[in-house]
Formats: sequence, C-alpha cells, structure tokens
Amino acid sequence: MTLALPSEARGTVRRGISPRTALAALALALIVALALAAPLIAPFDPLDQDLLALNMPPGPAHWLGTDHMGRDVFSRLVIGARTTLIVGFGGALVAFALGAGFGLVALSFGRWAEAAMFAVIDLVRALPDVLLALLLIVALGAGAGPVVIALGIAFAPFFAYVARATFHRESVKDYVAAARLFGGGRLHVLRLHLAPNLAGGLVTQAAILLPRCVVTESVLSFLGLGSSPDAPTWGRMVADASRYIEVSPHAILAPVIAIIVLTLSLSILGEAVRRGLDPLREMRGGM
Amino acid sequence: MAAVTLSRAFPRLLARLLPVGLALARMAAQAVGIVVIVFLLARLIPGDAVDVKGLEGDLTAAQQSELRHQLGLDRPVAEQMAAWSWRALHGNFGDSIRFGRPVSGMLATAVPETLLFTGLSFAFGLLLAAGVAVGAVTTGNPVLRGLVNFFNVWSVALPTFCVGVVGILVFSIWLNWLPVFGSLVLPVIIIGIDSAGLIVKPLYEELAEAATSAHVRTARAKGLPGWRVTLRHLLPTAVPVTLALSGLVLTSLVAGTITMEVLFGLPGIGSLMLNAIHGRDYPVIQATIVVVAVALVAMNAATDLLHRLIDPRMSS
Repeated sequence: MTLALPSEARGTVRRGISPRTALAALALALIVALALAAPLIAPFDPLDQDLLALNMPPGPAHWLGTDHMGRDVFSRLVIGARTTLIVGFGGALVAFALGAGFGLVALSFGRWAEAAMFAVIDLVRALPDVLLALLLIVALGAGAGPVVIALGIAFAPFFAYVARATFHRESVKDYVAAARLFGGGRLHVLRLHLAPNLAGGLVTQAAILLPRCVVTESVLSFLGLGSSPDAPTWGRMVADASRYIEVSPHAILAPVIAIIVLTLSLSILGEAVRRGLDPLREMRGGM
Repeated sequence: MAAVTLSRAFPRLLARLLPVGLALARMAAQAVGIVVIVFLLARLIPGDAVDVKGLEGDLTAAQQSELRHQLGLDRPVAEQMAAWSWRALHGNFGDSIRFGRPVSGMLATAVPETLLFTGLSFAFGLLLAAGVAVGAVTTGNPVLRGLVNFFNVWSVALPTFCVGVVGILVFSIWLNWLPVFGSLVLPVIIIGIDSAGLIVKPLYEELAEAATSAHVRTARAKGLPGWRVTLRHLLPTAVPVTLALSGLVLTSLVAGTITMEVLFGLPGIGSLMLNAIHGRDYPVIQATIVVVAVALVAMNAATDLLHRLIDPRMSS
C-alpha cells in the first residue's frame, strides 16, 4: 500500500536535497559566517586609507589587494557583507510584514475595502521597484534605514497579491463553505481556516523575492543611494572601483563575484524552497 | 428593420469596446495616481527648490518669499499638482534649479537616447528569446535547451551592473575590442540577454505544449515542410504569451536602463535622473520619474490592448 501521488510529484517530494542546493546553502552559510565574524577576521579597518599602498594587487599583506584609496579590499568585503545582508534581508522582511498585513486587513473588511485597498497596491506596483525605491530615497534621504523602507514598500505588493490569491482560491472550497454554514463570519474564516494556508505561499514568495531584494539593494548602492560612504556595501564598492577598473580590476571583481555568488545561491535556495513547499503547483506563480 | 439590427449590433459593439475603454480608463487613473504619489513624496523632502537656491546664493527672506510666490510654492498642494500636470501636458516641466534651463529641453535630448537604447535592447531580447525557444522546441537540441535555463538563471541571479563591469573588463580592457564609454553594443547585449531570460522559459514551455497540439500534428502529417509548420502553426501561438510577458520585460528595462546609462556614461534619461538626484535638482527628478513611469504605464496599456485584439480568449 503506497500513497498514490501523481508520478511527477512523487519525484519532486522524494528527491531530497540536490548537490546544487547543497552548494548554494554552503555558499550562503559561508557569506553569513564571514559577515558575523567580520570584526574578528578583518585584518584592517575598512575605512583606513594607506596612501603608500594604492591599487595594490592581491598579496600576503592585503589578501584581495587595495582600492584606489589604499583601503583593504578584503576587510571592506567582509564588513560590507553585513550591510548588504542586513539591508537586503531587512527589506524582504519589511515587505513581508507590510504586504501580508495590508493584504489581510484589506481582505478582512469585505469586498469594497478589498477593491479600494488593492487599487492602491496596483498603483504602487505600476511603478517599477527601482524607480519607486529611488523616489522614496529621494524623499527620505539616503542611508540604510530608508533603503530598507524603500525595498519594503516596493516589494510589499507581491505578498499582498499572494494573500489575496490564497484567500480567493481557498474560499470557494467546501471546508470554508462548511465553516460559513456553521455561522463563521469573514473574519473567523480568515483567521481560523485561511491563515494557516497562507503561510506556505508567503514563505515561498519571500524566498523568491529575497534575491531580488538583495539585487535591488546592490543596484541602489551602485547608484550611490544605498548607504552612507562610511558603511561600505558591495554595490558601492563596485561603483567606487569602476573608475579605476583599468589599474585595479581586483578591487571591482571581488565585490562583483561576492554579489553574484550571494544572489545566485539565494535564488537556487529560493527555487528549492518553492519546490519543497509547493510540490503540486509547479506553475502557479506568485501573482 | 434598421433599428432592430442596430439594437442587436450595439451590445456586441459595446462588449468589444468596453474592455478597451476600461483599459484606457485604468491607464489614465494610474497615470494620475503616479503624479499624485510623486508629488506627495516630493513634498516629504525637507526644504523646497527655493531653499536649495537660498543655500547657494544669498537670497534675503523677502526675496525667498517673493520667489516662492512666483513659483506658486505658497499655494495648496492640490493646486500646485493640477498646475504642474496642466503645464506638463503641454510639455512644460519648469526650469532646472542647477542649470536654469527648461527641463523639457533636457528631456528632449535625453529621451531619444534612451528610446534608442531600450528599443534596441527590447528587440534584441525578444528576438533572442524567440530564437532560442523556437530552436529548442523544433530541434530538441540539448545545447539550446540548456540556453533556455541559462538565460533564465542569468536574469534572476546576475545583476546587470555586475555583468556590465565584467563585460567592460573583459571586452574593453583585456581584449580591447570596444570603447568603454558611449558604445551601445555591450549594454544592449547585456540588457537584451537579461530581458530574454525573463521570458524565454515560459515561452519555451508554451511552444513545447503547442508543438504537441493537434493542429501542429495535422500540419506535419499532411507533409508541410518543418520551417512552414514552425512559421505558420507554431510561432503564432507564441505571440500572445510574448505580449503578456512583455510588461514584465518593460518594467525590468527601467532598472536595467538606468544602471547601464550610469555605468557606460550614456546621456539618456536615467543619467539625467541620477545626476538630478545627486544634485537635488527637484524639478528634473520629478519630471524624469513621472515621464518614465507614465510612459511605462502607457506602453503596458498598449501591449494589453494589442493582446486583447489578437487573442480572442482575452475578450471573454
């Protein structure tokens, strides 16, 4: 007697962790560990300028060389990992809370509230994320805090859409009709029967959006709007080094490779989470 | 008689026109909403255009309030918004604070550059995605199928500015093939591949499904040559999907265009926007963001209408 799963789903469920996913998890763990241990392992102050050692290639003194201001690239990379991770993950977290919260409130108050509040969300969505983030940063000022808020607002609509899609998908099912027959109101049904179904979709959405948040953070930093000059981020390191690309390619390649490894492993892990939580609905998508 | 046919034809005509009207109304509402959002956020900024000027020159308090009155900054926000929108509709976006030139003139030089760049990238991306997807479906070639996944991962995981930096390093500096700045070749290829990656996988899946459908099998069974089956029976099924996905591509083109213009020093609207942000040139910031966002909304509405027009499934 075996459980009769569709053949495709059985393969997905029983496959376990692929080597690709394991490698991605390892890379992410390494980056997080480096970021956590940064103050201990950074051999130099990331802001210290050594004017006698400008644009030094990688060597025993400076493992990844120095940039155009004589700052140690390795130290900046590991210290910068902290800002990059905190702002990227923080943005995703704010987006999750804001989008799911707004969506649930909109769904709790009946059809008109839903229509009106989702019209606002559609409007926010009409602005591309980087443009919206740029606008918010102009209004709030540059820095880590405003970037987290900007990312949160720019990516919140996706979570609200997931909440609405789950709500409407589940509310036509028999168990919801049964709960309604027993006299459960919209709020009761939402809280007791729909909220548990929501978790999977929201977590999947978070896993998919996390790399996009990190990418957007690095784009904003690259454009000079991500953080203050005394807090190095990977995007800002790329921007700073881009004018000296000919004399010190290592200063630009180090953060570029770091960003690519981070976003690549995050998106591989996001895909794994999506498959793991959502094995039967491969193609449903987030909208 | 005529009245009867008219009364029959009218609801049908209405049924066809109503979605078009709704789409246009939605577009207009979104455009108005964008102007409101941009205006309200611009009001959050501490200090206004006059304060910025006051910091640089030595304006007396009386001169400042005089200037504020001239610029209409002492009016209610809603009134300013209406006045600004009315002038913007006539192509007047005010003057740049930093350069004292009309913003419309700056837009007039920047917009064609950006349109050329985004147009080329969009076309290249679409052709690349269609070519790879059609090739992978019709030949079943594992290399082409691998490319479908490769482009997909590329656009998800590789930030365009990182690819741009590596591209400059490899092609301009190490291989010495292309000039670093001003050339469109490298940025168009980068954004093109990025755009292709967004749509190539769904396109491939749709085509793979269409390839097994009855009308394609019939076409093959009656002995049509392979290229004819592809051209007349397979490709038309890809058009609606491509149109549906092009909104996604257009949206991602905005971010890609801004970063590429900054990285490669292209004098388009993205560079204009970024320079204005760094120089706190608010009239320019406001104008560039509104122009880009409204253009995007308009293009999305246009592709949506086109989609409805050619895909009868959409009109139900």
